[in-house]
Amino acid sequence: MKTSLYSRFTSSLFVLPYLLCFVSFLLIPIVYGFYISLHDFELLSDKHKYVGFDNYIKIFTPDTYLSDLFFKGLWITIQFVIYSVPLLIIIGLLLALLVNQLPGRIRGLFRTFFFLPYAISASVMAVIWLMMFDTNAGFINSMLAKFSVMPVPWLTDIPAAWVALVTTTLWWTIGFNMVIFVNALNQVPEDFYEAASMDGANAWQKFIGITLPIIKPVMLFVMITSTIASFNIYAQPFLLTRGGPGSSTKVLLMNILDEAFKNKEIGTASAMAILMAIMIMIISVIQYRLAYARKE
Amino acid sequence: MRRMQTTIYVSIAVLVAAFFLLPLIWMISTSLKNDFEALSGQMNFIPNKPTLDNYIQGLTGGLMNVPIGRWITNSLSVAVASTGLILLFSSMAAYALARLPDLPLRKSMISVFIASLMIPGVLTFLPMYMEFNALGLINTYYALTLPYTAGAFGVFLLFQFFTSFPKEIEEAARIDGANKWQVYSRIVLPSSVSIMVTLGIFSFMAVYNDFVWPLYVTTSPEMRTITAGIAIMAQGSFTQSYGKLMAMTTIATLPVLIIFIIGQRSFVKAITQSGIK
Repeated sequence: MKTSLYSRFTSSLFVLPYLLCFVSFLLIPIVYGFYISLHDFELLSDKHKYVGFDNYIKIFTPDTYLSDLFFKGLWITIQFVIYSVPLLIIIGLLLALLVNQLPGRIRGLFRTFFFLPYAISASVMAVIWLMMFDTNAGFINSMLAKFSVMPVPWLTDIPAAWVALVTTTLWWTIGFNMVIFVNALNQVPEDFYEAASMDGANAWQKFIGITLPIIKPVMLFVMITSTIASFNIYAQPFLLTRGGPGSSTKVLLMNILDEAFKNKEIGTASAMAILMAIMIMIISVIQYRLAYARKE
Repeated sequence: MRRMQTTIYVSIAVLVAAFFLLPLIWMISTSLKNDFEALSGQMNFIPNKPTLDNYIQGLTGGLMNVPIGRWITNSLSVAVASTGLILLFSSMAAYALARLPDLPLRKSMISVFIASLMIPGVLTFLPMYMEFNALGLINTYYALTLPYTAGAFGVFLLFQFFTSFPKEIEEAARIDGANKWQVYSRIVLPSSVSIMVTLGIFSFMAVYNDFVWPLYVTTSPEMRTITAGIAIMAQGSFTQSYGKLMAMTTIATLPVLIIFIIGQRSFVKAITQSGIK
């Protein structure tokens, strides 16, 4: 194969358009974001004073406005992760097991039903549930009224608001996890189950002894992607509870965007965003390491 | 015994399906009700007085200054344009990375692109806003379209596919005197239709459904996408007009729902094969 200068040049041309986009809308923003975080950067002003790592130091100085904003938001985000991720995994797996128990003719249909909400935009999803959870006219409270249950203020009370946020999240995204699990379950060799049946194992023993060990890597994958997705939660509290009651569901991403666009403090908001991104990337690296260790 | 079990499983599945489908059915049902009935708290799936007013008002602009026709046009144009760029640029790059060994820095680029898949959106969101702001491109179609082209998912997906593509046909074409562009456009692309469709569905849905970026990067009503517009309506004066809101969400959901149902199989395949969302 000839590797003349001209050939190398024409080969490069194929990568060039994507590379330009990659540099302009990924690499430059990353570098620029770090630059902004080192400045007293106001959205509407032209003067941006260099302040070194002051923005970061402020975040880590206890009892300042910024450290409250960051760590309270972080704690609320972590709470959401703790409430949602176990359910996203367990119910996702249960749905996959359920779909696989259905007769072949209707299996695809039900898989589609369970997966359908995943196709919907976050804002549409949130607005649908805004109506479902409406205290006075909402579907959920109307249904509860049939059982003589008093109206629950789903979006303005704790812990009801958490129930609402987790329910909407499950409705919206659990189909994704289910599909991954269905795929994993279908890769378990049928003979394993047959051999176990001959040894007299019951369904539960087969699940614990055969299914779980085989799908463990997939479970890990689902755990990490769900954790990252839950960490990035924004639409649900932004549109459903508006961070309330008070600021008890105001997650980190809401605080970052408010600091940037309401308070016009892009510098401090960028420092917060970078810290949040580092935390998410640490989770990703752990995923990569575990996946890598599995292949060896 | 077996039959009995199946009946139980099917019954559970129906109940679970109700949880997933009822909100969507309720959305359509509410969109056909007037505001009074929508707020009455009755659980009637079939409206007492079905009306198309919410749709007619929405689409003709009769709703207070809400140009929903424009919004849906914006959303579709932006999603189609981004998807087109993603398909073209990703396939060209992936072809070079997979099939042109004399490409300079080939291995480094592959590693950098794959590593970039781990970068969370929060890292680039604010600086990208400031970048478009500095360029004077806030509230333009450029700002709504271009950022999506930087994602490496398409390159990664197609790179995997092109690597496993048989070499012989391509080599025969090269011997016959076809240049790289001809091999790419006449041999590689026509053989990759199904994976390109998959990537197309994926990209279209991701761009069409995104709402946070368009929400912040548009400042005037006529530049909103439908998803950003709905978010603003739901926060503003429409909170209690569920009939109108639901007509909007129904219109907004239709394009993606149709594409999703048609392309579901390839969508699922892409998720499970790549192992990456």
